[in-house]
Amino acid sequence: MDIIYYFVNLALFKILFLHTDLIAGWTLEQMMIFVASYLLVDAINMTFFSTNLWWLPYYINKGDLDYYLIRPVSALFFLSVREFSANSFLNLIIAVFIFVYSIINYTQPWEVEKLFGLILLLINGAFIYYLIQMLMIIPAFWTQSTRGFIDLFYTLGLAMERPDRIFKGWIRIIFTTILPFSLIASFPARYFIEGLEELSLLHLLSVTLVLWILILSLWKKGLRNYSSASS
Amino acid sequence: MKWWAFVIASEMRKILAFRFDFWVTFIGQSFIQIIISISLWKSIFESRESQEMMGYSLESIVLYYLIVPVGSKMLTGENIGFLSREIYDGSFNRYLLYPISFFQYKTLTYLTYSCFYGLQLVFIFLSYHILSGGIQTEQLINLLAGFVFFFMASVTYSQLALGIELISLWADNIWSLMVMTRFLCFFFGGAYIPVDFFPQFMKDILVFTPFPYLINLPIKVTMGSARMEDLFSGTIALLVWTILFHLGARLLWKKGQHHYSGVGI
Repeated sequence: MDIIYYFVNLALFKILFLHTDLIAGWTLEQMMIFVASYLLVDAINMTFFSTNLWWLPYYINKGDLDYYLIRPVSALFFLSVREFSANSFLNLIIAVFIFVYSIINYTQPWEVEKLFGLILLLINGAFIYYLIQMLMIIPAFWTQSTRGFIDLFYTLGLAMERPDRIFKGWIRIIFTTILPFSLIASFPARYFIEGLEELSLLHLLSVTLVLWILILSLWKKGLRNYSSASS
Repeated sequence: MKWWAFVIASEMRKILAFRFDFWVTFIGQSFIQIIISISLWKSIFESRESQEMMGYSLESIVLYYLIVPVGSKMLTGENIGFLSREIYDGSFNRYLLYPISFFQYKTLTYLTYSCFYGLQLVFIFLSYHILSGGIQTEQLINLLAGFVFFFMASVTYSQLALGIELISLWADNIWSLMVMTRFLCFFFGGAYIPVDFFPQFMKDILVFTPFPYLINLPIKVTMGSARMEDLFSGTIALLVWTILFHLGARLLWKKGQHHYSGVGI
């Protein structure tokens, strides 16, 4: 299934570039680096977080969180990374391959430091993706159904799959701060391709930090509202 | 009350059960998809410094992507995975006891969702044209024709989806198969990018598949940019593929009934 997803995303931009030389200031090979970047972020998320976060609303609604809250480890951490998705690990390998292939085929000069920076920023991007997904799941503590929020999250995920420069005005502000999907893969790709100003890097890291603090805070509030199966 | 009216009323109640989810889905998903698609295409048009691409102006591309989210919803409905879950947990038994055909019941529930999303299509289309300066009779006729084509496409897709879901009679989990089908239908159907932008060799191949008639053609009919021969060939293609998918689903049902234990897991 994910191979189809990778194919569709790669083919989409290949087809668009049959009709234009530039999209948001990037050429085809630069765009392929961006596409490979968000496919890699998606694969990391599917392998380490997705299965766990899929079940979290059910645990909250059914009162099954108790078993995890009493353990001597952070419940949030444990619930987020408890299961490693072995079937998605193959997709991660394919995504890494696509990523390496796009870097090797990049004809413009690039530096190894930039590549390491890109990888670190993509790991940070995967973390942002996880945090935004948690933001959509945590309302389960208060609402009966988070299905609408989760559907909204996957729809918003489209913003991660588009270069940030296509967004302007208030849309850009939303996708780089409140719902920072553009920071997940587009900013890291831009860092590698053309470099990022220090202010932009600071912005990226600040948003990650603020989002992380927000999630921790909401998680604690949610637990106070949690009524377990045994009570 | 006639059985079909009862089924429709029952499905409508399910759709509106979680009102917050409904409004988030109705407004949120469509709005976001439209914003993101239009931003991308605006950027592409600006980089080319041209007014037209493959017969689409920026205005017509905007209308295309306004229709895509609700058109896609109308096509696929909301029933993904329900039948396979029912087979898996044994609740499929009730269809064997109903005094109506399983195929009739399932197709009707599917189409109830499709028609519901069709109302959203009408709403968005009318809103766009009213805000653009008014709606003409010709555009209303295009809307009606487009609704009919989307309905026909959803009948075709429903038979395809039914057939795939019936594979659950043999396999435990077919969810990923449904998602793959949806990806392929959306991509080759023109939901991500109009089929007119595809390379010619792909367009030549796609003519022999159901994909371009599921989304791209109904949208073009709604926009009033489809030719008469496309309407005719599209109708025939949808009819043929509906029959083929239906026969395939019937065959799977006939063979699969013997594998169904009714106990569930």
